[in-house]
Amino acid sequence: MAQCVQSVQELIPDSFVPCVAALCSDEAERLTRLNHLSFAELLKPFSRLTSEVHMRDPNNQLHIIKNLKIAVSNIITQPPQHGAIRKLLNDVVSGCQPAEGLVANVITAGDYDLNISATTPWFESYRETFLQSMPASDHEFLNHYLACMLVASSGEAEPMEQFSKLSQEQHRIQHNNDYSYPKWFIPNTLKYYVLLHDMSAGDEQRAESIYEEMKQKYGTQGCYLLKINSRTSNRASDEQIPDPWSQYLQKNSVQNQESYEDGPCTITSNKNYDSNLLSLDGLDNEVKVDGLPNNFRTHPLQLDQPIESSNNVDGPDHVKSASSLHETKKANSGIIHGACLTLTDHDRIRQFIQEFTFRGLLPHIEKTIRQLNDQLISRKGLSRSLFSATKKWFSGSKVPEKSINELKNTSGLLYPPEAPELQIRKMADLCFLVQHYDLAYSCYHTAKKDFLNDQAMLYAAGALEMAAVSAFLQPGAPRPYPAHYMDTAIQTYRDVCKNMVLAERCVLLSAEILKSQSKYSEAAALLIRLTSEDSDLRSALLLEQAAHCFINMKSPMVRKYAFHMILAGHRFSKAGQKKHALRCYCQAMQVYKGKGWSLAEDHINFTIGRQSYTLRQLDNAVSAFRHILINESKQSAAQQGAFLREYLYVYKNVSQLSPDGPFPQLPLPYINSSATRVFFGHDRRPADGEKQAATHVSLDQEYDSESSQQWRELEEQVVAVVNKGVIPSSFHPTQYCLNSYSDNSRFPLAVVEEPITVEVAFRNPLKVPLLLTDLSLLWKFQPKDINGKDNEEVRELVTGEPEMIGTEVISEFLINNEESKVARLKLFPHHIGELHILGVVYNLGTIQGSLTMDGIGALPGCHTGKYSLSMSVRGRQDLEIQGPRLNNTKEEKTSITYGPDRRLDPIITEEMPLLEVFFIHFPTELLCGEIRKAYVEFANVSKCPLTGLKVVSKRPEFFTFGGNTAVLTPLSPSASENCSAYKTVVTDSTSVCTALTSSASSVDFGIGIGSQPEVIPVPLPDTVLLPGASVQLPMWLRGPDEEGVHEINFLFYYESVKKQPKIRHRILRHTAVICTSRSLNVKATVCRSNSLEDEEGKGDNMLVFVDVENTNTSEAGVKEFHIVQVSSSSKHWKLQKSVNLSENKDAKLASREKGKFCFKVIRCNEREGATQSSEKYTFADIIFGNEQIISSASPCADFFYRSLSSELKKPQTQLSMHTEKHSVEDAVSLIQKCNKVDLNIVILWKAYVVEDSKQLILEGQHHVILHTIGKEAFSYPQKQEQPEMEPLKFFRPENTTATSRPSLEQLSNLIKTSLHYPETFNHPFHQKSLCLVPVTLLLSNCSKADVDVIVDLRHKTTSPEALEIHGSFTWLGQTQYKLQLKGQEILSLQLKACFVHTGVYNLGTPRVFAKLSDQVTVFETSQQNSMPALIIINNV
Amino acid sequence: MLKTKSGSFYFVILGHHDNPAFEVEFLPAGKAEPKDDYHHLNQFIAHAALDLVDENLWLSNNIYLKIVDKFNEWFVSAFVTVSHLRFIMLYDIRQEDGIKNFFTDVYDLYIKFAVNPFYEPNSPLQSSAFDRKVRFLGKKHLLS
Repeated sequence: MAQCVQSVQELIPDSFVPCVAALCSDEAERLTRLNHLSFAELLKPFSRLTSEVHMRDPNNQLHIIKNLKIAVSNIITQPPQHGAIRKLLNDVVSGCQPAEGLVANVITAGDYDLNISATTPWFESYRETFLQSMPASDHEFLNHYLACMLVASSGEAEPMEQFSKLSQEQHRIQHNNDYSYPKWFIPNTLKYYVLLHDMSAGDEQRAESIYEEMKQKYGTQGCYLLKINSRTSNRASDEQIPDPWSQYLQKNSVQNQESYEDGPCTITSNKNYDSNLLSLDGLDNEVKVDGLPNNFRTHPLQLDQPIESSNNVDGPDHVKSASSLHETKKANSGIIHGACLTLTDHDRIRQFIQEFTFRGLLPHIEKTIRQLNDQLISRKGLSRSLFSATKKWFSGSKVPEKSINELKNTSGLLYPPEAPELQIRKMADLCFLVQHYDLAYSCYHTAKKDFLNDQAMLYAAGALEMAAVSAFLQPGAPRPYPAHYMDTAIQTYRDVCKNMVLAERCVLLSAEILKSQSKYSEAAALLIRLTSEDSDLRSALLLEQAAHCFINMKSPMVRKYAFHMILAGHRFSKAGQKKHALRCYCQAMQVYKGKGWSLAEDHINFTIGRQSYTLRQLDNAVSAFRHILINESKQSAAQQGAFLREYLYVYKNVSQLSPDGPFPQLPLPYINSSATRVFFGHDRRPADGEKQAATHVSLDQEYDSESSQQWRELEEQVVAVVNKGVIPSSFHPTQYCLNSYSDNSRFPLAVVEEPITVEVAFRNPLKVPLLLTDLSLLWKFQPKDINGKDNEEVRELVTGEPEMIGTEVISEFLINNEESKVARLKLFPHHIGELHILGVVYNLGTIQGSLTMDGIGALPGCHTGKYSLSMSVRGRQDLEIQGPRLNNTKEEKTSITYGPDRRLDPIITEEMPLLEVFFIHFPTELLCGEIRKAYVEFANVSKCPLTGLKVVSKRPEFFTFGGNTAVLTPLSPSASENCSAYKTVVTDSTSVCTALTSSASSVDFGIGIGSQPEVIPVPLPDTVLLPGASVQLPMWLRGPDEEGVHEINFLFYYESVKKQPKIRHRILRHTAVICTSRSLNVKATVCRSNSLEDEEGKGDNMLVFVDVENTNTSEAGVKEFHIVQVSSSSKHWKLQKSVNLSENKDAKLASREKGKFCFKVIRCNEREGATQSSEKYTFADIIFGNEQIISSASPCADFFYRSLSSELKKPQTQLSMHTEKHSVEDAVSLIQKCNKVDLNIVILWKAYVVEDSKQLILEGQHHVILHTIGKEAFSYPQKQEQPEMEPLKFFRPENTTATSRPSLEQLSNLIKTSLHYPETFNHPFHQKSLCLVPVTLLLSNCSKADVDVIVDLRHKTTSPEALEIHGSFTWLGQTQYKLQLKGQEILSLQLKACFVHTGVYNLGTPRVFAKLSDQVTVFETSQQNSMPALIIINNV
Repeated sequence: MLKTKSGSFYFVILGHHDNPAFEVEFLPAGKAEPKDDYHHLNQFIAHAALDLVDENLWLSNNIYLKIVDKFNEWFVSAFVTVSHLRFIMLYDIRQEDGIKNFFTDVYDLYIKFAVNPFYEPNSPLQSSAFDRKVRFLGKKHLLS
């Protein structure tokens, strides 16, 4: 139980006080009425005695009574009606609310910290009112009238007459059988005559004289002259007098005041009372005839029991009038009581009560107790023995108290009013009223035994109850509080007598007593036990008190507290006590909050929301409903739908209250702020007829960190080229789409007149669909003038000015149950400035009809049509994006700080050119090496001219815009329908085998040294693209050499003609996807020709072998390949002619066929080479058809150079390492050089393809780059096998730099040797036994340096087997030569071989040693002749 | 009205902060879901019983606490594990043995799940396997 203002020792005596009736004449009533008070009310504040009172008990012991209080009330002849009491109690409870800003106690129990108000004043008011409104009962006398005050006024014509009339009236009420109510304590009630005198009006002399008369008639002790109203009402304003009535009257009986106001409703209600009462009582004639003031019946003014006034009558009329009274009361509640009374009058009244109690009431009580005592003593022996004897005869043993439960239907036993059994109870009650608890206890105890013996259960319960209370109140506490008495009493009242009111009184008293003894758990059990269905208010209050008991325990039971608070709240709400219900739920919520009891929490929140709503606490209602909706819910779909509708309804009410206020924040649907994406620019037009737009960037693309890194690198490359190789420090990669991965630390730049698209990620956590309507972005804009300066007054615009920023509105946006969905919202900036996108604004609603469907919610069919909005509220949600966690400095690492995220704060800048790129005839499938011509259209769709257009790609070998020679090809796509991609010249077939030469420089094709080959300027006609202009340019594509799918990224770079400070350049991205399939494999080797001199007599020539294999696997498509031309391209070499004169001039290759070509290569004219720059390449074409493809022109040369440059990129780094100044390495490189060639072979082919029964001719080219003599080179990149993991070494490797000797193979190529001799030699051995054969040894220096050569002819057989195969012979003449050969010099030595037999001999025995002559370190090695030089010697 | 032999059960595992870590309801086969949505009442009763569980804990040597509380037609039994996790069972027809066995088996089951290093103590048990097994145990011990 909560803490109370009164202690239990004060509470109980105050609840049981001597009752005194008051019967007033009309005139007397009028006098008091001047003060807006009835007589009983007038006395009320002074009814407690200020001094101690003494009286003598029956044993003549002096007994002291402290703080005695008496209750004076007007006589009412009807017992209070049950329903009316209920209503009164309801009003009392609802009228008493916790004070605003009441400091709550903080109770800590376990994990819980609770704010709980320790006091419950509404409960105390309820209890006080409840105890006061207890109807008088027959089985107890505590609230029976002990005395009656008869009040008349001095102003009456016949005061003495009036007194006797009043006296008769009292007697009639008490003794006439018509009145069963009120109850009187004893037959001869004390009558006390009071003469009221109005000081301001009446004649004091007359009053005194009447008083004298009274004294003579009724004795000095039985009458009193009370002077009041000494103050004239006009003086009332200037003197402030305390109003002691307010605290008694305002609370619960104000409504009675108003019945005296002359309002029309009071009149009618009074009439109602009259008529009703008359008809009920049947006393109408009586009332009218005797003309007596019938205030005891019709007077609605009751102070103590104000409810009775409205209770005289049942029925709707009465209820109505009472309620209307209630209304009027509120209108004028500022009534001042006691306006005509001075402080002296107050003292007089106090004095009167004192006098009455001392002289009148107490002696009367004392006398009565004495009489009763005497009666009892005289009767005791007889009756007790008689009763117990009869009992014993029948039952044989004493009836134990515990077995009361078994006794049924005995509560009906009634004693007559003057029954002797009741006399002891009367005495006990009298003793109790005068606080003589010892005596009271023993009397109650005795009475209890008697009643139990008689099986008079109601009486017994009453005696038990009061016995327990008086035992508790006994001073010095001689015996413990008999709680079981109370339990028995409660049980009897409730179960046997079915009297809940008495049971409740019993519980209230007992619980209070137990509380005072800190027996909280017993008190709680008691309180909970009395909760029942018949009274929600009582149950609610008791449950709340029980909850307080739980929390006040030594170890507080928090969870029990919370549960009982919930139960109490539930009952309060059933009883219509909304505020109390809300308070209970809120208090309990503290315990359940955040623990995961979702259903319980939802229930509480829902109730709080409902109650708050009905109490017009809309904000609380909204937040409570919000909780239900946003938390993880276990509710069913239907339930959630109901919650949602309720929430929307409440919200709507809130927003209607303040229609002009800012939009409320809506909790639904969820927004995943960090998933918000922002896109700058127009939507992509995917395709326009044949035109295929550049893919660029769009919101449909998934973020890919790898590709974004690639794009970034590409942009850096092009920016570096534009800025002469240096990336400016202010450079930041252009970002068109901002997401959680992009760098959002800077304000993004948006261009005016280009839309900004914001993609918001919504999620619907509910099981019902949500419908958002009129969804748009909310923004704030700070415009700037054209000069970029801020406006003088910084205007901040918000959403709704379409001339500055256009806002797109999505009219309907449906999110299904538990669905995640993105909305794309657009803004159209029309002015430069700073834009801040704040959030989204929309109407939140749900779909009608779908709510009734369980689970699935909206069916797919519902999506198409217009949704019927059941209810919607307009509100907003902010987009707040947290930046990335910072982790750079130590401070940032140790704390948690986040960087800014400026995704949503774009700066609108001035106009920029905007490029659109379209591809025409752009293929998606190519053969490897295939050349295809396509067209690119560049269009400037902005209002600014565009310049500096460049394209950058990681795969520059894939495409070309043609070199300077490109002008010859048709410029429009339509003209080139069936035209070859190449530039061709018709040749006559006679000049077949010889090569046609031309030359070109790589500079012409834009491939310079040092510049980035990836960055290719687009050859715009005037380098400027004017606004609205578009240009189409041819573009050749070459299928990548590797088969498979290739994604090729193009980045177009362009600038504005006018330099912009904020945006230097813009970019456009395109990703082309090309699928390539296998076509030809080309393998080529070059080797030295053995023939020393060609036809033209020049020294150097080589042979090139080209193997071509058709590796195409597709069965249907490609029929065959024709090699149409083989071209060479080199700075030093050129193809001379085809060597293998095959008949198949077309060089067809069917599927999986392989062909071989052999070409002779000669050096170019040295003169040519010397005069022209070293970058000049000589092209030589060998044609197999009748058309020459000019290989030195576009696009053939373009792709050749591209492939060359991409090839060159790789070994560059290695070369630079080799050219260190080191004599040995010099020599090595020199030796290596003579193995080098720089010959590049271009194979041009045509493929005949059947596609849809149409023959197509595809063209293509393959490149083979030959670096080294004798080494195979391939057109396609060789798959390099991954080197196996080297074993891990645990020691330091030895220095391996020792040998940088040239390899044997390299050295063997230093000198080229050849033997010239007749193949067969006939010699007549019979004539001459020795055969001499002349042999010429040709030595040719391949290097450009001087070489020392040693030729050793001394015969040294390598092995015995060789001897057997080849016969032995000897060289004659000089057997060793030391020679020096100058660079590229050819020397011939004449040798003689001598044979003695016929046979086959190998002449290849001379050993040739070579070394570079200027080198100190000598590498000497034998020249190995790979081929045996066989000679046949015949005998003739 | 025909009285069914087995009643309804509501079982909850409570974490150290009085938070429900796992909840399940067992209804007899014939009985349909109660029409009125009184599920929140189960939670209230189970939660309120914790005070009495705490009290009974000091009075008993067993970890199975038998009936600790009663509310209207509901009995509340409890089982407190060594780590002071509380198992609470609400039921409307007395069935001491079944409940005791159920508690013991669920405890075994819980230990197996709790050793999972990815399970954070006191957090809700969302494993569907656990749920399935508990339901099986419920059928076995309570509804049979």
